[in-house]
Amino acid sequence: MSVETHAHHEHPDVVGSRNRLGLILILVADIAMALSVLFVYFYLKGQNVNDMWLPAATADTPAVMAVSSKGAWYVTILAAIGLLTHFYALQGVRAKNQTQLVLGGGLALVFSLAAMVYQFIQVSSAPFTTTSGAYASCYFLIAGLNALHLVLTVFIALGNWNRSRLGIYKSDHWHVDIVNIWWIWMTVSSALGAFALSFG
Amino acid sequence: MTTIMNRPASAPGSAAGRKPLIERLNIVTAFLLGTVSAVVVWQLALKFMPETPETSLFFNREDKISLLSLIAWFVGFMTGIGALNGPIRWAMGKDLSHSENMFLAGKDQGIKRYFRYTTDHKVVGIQYLVTTIIIFFVGGTLAMLIRTNLGHPSGGWIHPQAYNAIVGWHGIVMIVATIIMVTGPFGNFIMPIMIGARDMAFPRLNALSFWLIVAAIPPIFISFFTGGITTGWTAYNPLASQAGLGMNGYIAFICIFAISTMVAGANITTTVIKMRAKGMTWNRTPIFIYGVVASVALALPAFPVFFLSQIMSGLDRAFATSFYNSAGGGSGWLYENLFWIMGHPEVYVILLPAIAALMEMAPVFTRRPLFGFNLAVLGIAGICGLSILVWAHHMYISGWAPLLNAPFMLTTELISIPTGMLFLVLVGTLWRGRLWMTVPLMSIFALLWNFMIGGITGIYLSDVPADAFLHGSMYVTAHFHYTLMGAGLTGAIASLVYWFPKMTGRMLDKKLSWISFWMVQIGFNVAFMGMFMVGLAGQPRRVESYAAMFSRGNLITTIGAYTIMIGMLVLLHGVISSWRSGQKAPMNPWHAKTLEWTVANPVPLENFDVLPVVTSDAYGYGKAKS
Repeated sequence: MSVETHAHHEHPDVVGSRNRLGLILILVADIAMALSVLFVYFYLKGQNVNDMWLPAATADTPAVMAVSSKGAWYVTILAAIGLLTHFYALQGVRAKNQTQLVLGGGLALVFSLAAMVYQFIQVSSAPFTTTSGAYASCYFLIAGLNALHLVLTVFIALGNWNRSRLGIYKSDHWHVDIVNIWWIWMTVSSALGAFALSFG
Repeated sequence: MTTIMNRPASAPGSAAGRKPLIERLNIVTAFLLGTVSAVVVWQLALKFMPETPETSLFFNREDKISLLSLIAWFVGFMTGIGALNGPIRWAMGKDLSHSENMFLAGKDQGIKRYFRYTTDHKVVGIQYLVTTIIIFFVGGTLAMLIRTNLGHPSGGWIHPQAYNAIVGWHGIVMIVATIIMVTGPFGNFIMPIMIGARDMAFPRLNALSFWLIVAAIPPIFISFFTGGITTGWTAYNPLASQAGLGMNGYIAFICIFAISTMVAGANITTTVIKMRAKGMTWNRTPIFIYGVVASVALALPAFPVFFLSQIMSGLDRAFATSFYNSAGGGSGWLYENLFWIMGHPEVYVILLPAIAALMEMAPVFTRRPLFGFNLAVLGIAGICGLSILVWAHHMYISGWAPLLNAPFMLTTELISIPTGMLFLVLVGTLWRGRLWMTVPLMSIFALLWNFMIGGITGIYLSDVPADAFLHGSMYVTAHFHYTLMGAGLTGAIASLVYWFPKMTGRMLDKKLSWISFWMVQIGFNVAFMGMFMVGLAGQPRRVESYAAMFSRGNLITTIGAYTIMIGMLVLLHGVISSWRSGQKAPMNPWHAKTLEWTVANPVPLENFDVLPVVTSDAYGYGKAKS
């Protein structure tokens, strides 16, 4: 291989572009897992092995009923509002408006927290347990994946807001761009879960 | 590339004579914190977790406690090694300073850097190499226990339950070792230099992917002493749900390993896409890089599915959910699908980098350009594309979707076409070349022979009627050893011999590597030909005793296995002695043309003083001005 040499210098945008691709590739893995969760849900629902997708009532236990998907959609709506507020912050940093960046980041943190808390309330108030058949198992799996996403989102939103507050994103803002990609996927993932649960 | 931030921070070691936290964390603190966390959680769970009702299935309470302890081990270990420093410092807005980054890169730390969360890709490469050797040593020892027991028809000296656990342990340990054997050491050490980069795209993720593997090892060891993996490495459900506590170690091991694979996949792919030297167009990118990227790109969507399958297995065990338990509406076929959606691409995750490494070496030792570079790329891409469409050939006789058997048979047989392209590239490069008889070159011949047998026997297994007879027999075991070991491991050992001078600054002992090569290859063919014989005659796999009619084939296999073992020990001796006191290696002992041979030994911290610009491909042997 013939080579010449030249001086080396890296622009923050180059680093940002690399980080963006890295996140997207990690999201490929996460998307594969989320789609697998949906596959599990629809596979077991379609198979309805031994009529135990939603077990009928027995002498000891009442029938298991599918829960309304409203709760899952509410979580998604909270996540979507969080995404919008983060996007508002992103526009702020692009316009070099520090106040808008901090305000948007703070609101995104609040909405991610709200969505997480609501998700945990939803899980803890489910009218069945993990032993209540295949539907219940899938319900907790979907809710668990969403809860994990939300915990990560709270952490990311906290860091993003704190760094905005400290003025770290004045010079370059690729972090905020990348966090936006995460928010989009987290919201889509939440919507996919709610969509699946809408089928009962 | 180590990110250098401008924010002020105290220099390491300067704060009132007390070492900063980042300097105090290492493998000892990791094991200590991991162990303490696991023990504390275990004791707390024992005290406070309510008893499981008698009506409950299996071992729910014990499983919960065991899985919680393993999670605590994992979190404690990763905290103790320093993996959480980066994210926490990011959230606090206190990015690492230049000097802290240099510390993390292992600057001026000597051997200690190998026991820390070091970000330098060369350190990570060596860490992977040593870890891979250790894992192979363990897996090989288990293989010898199996073969020794099978040396006599009645087996006898290993208890059947322990034998099952040994077979399962050997399987999963070797699968993991073969997954990381090329991509780990050489993908980390060599690949960034080969593409003209100063480091990986995400050095801290690079360290993370390695230390995750270290964190995954204790759970699988512990599993052996808590009932073992008695299900075989596939851990089929509902069998796994009903197995002893050892399965929890397997679940934790796979989940942690899957995270490591995902992280490494994103890192390596980003590095290759974004950090190739100027002028290194895709047509000038060495074929080894294609093999590594194809491998990790396949793993990226495949391993999350495996991860999920194990999470659900753990939930079935600990929380009595019904993913795989048909009494509760679950399905064993669901597990089989999820497992093999990962399981078959995983074969190519193992094979592609090994074959690509041999394709990289072929021009060097024939002094000819690589024959059909585009064909090689097409072959790799074809294998990747088809490998995700073949998983159900493992399930022909499971009864799942018989109507799909024919399409899966077709896709499986189609995969021999791109595989044949890779054969053609190797044979075409060897054809009329000026052969330089080295171990890497002979490894190409060995691969062609072994992989031809592995491939052709695989075609019979892809055929539904033949598979109905051969499934679950020793024939299958022989077949996949011919592919994973005969082709994959042969490529990995050739890579070790080829890149050893660059990684260690010393030449690998020639005499010992030749002795090892012939012993391993002869032993291998003896061992697995014997296994084909008994498999064709009907001996099932995973049995600890067998009918007397299979004794001759098994004895041959055991003799072959011992020959392999001696060959491997010779290689191990060669590696250790050469590393310690071998002949010093020149900068480019093979007169190769890829970029890693243009940097000095030992390779400087940032690889290149100034980044190279590539003006031609790496295979211009025999051409003027190249």
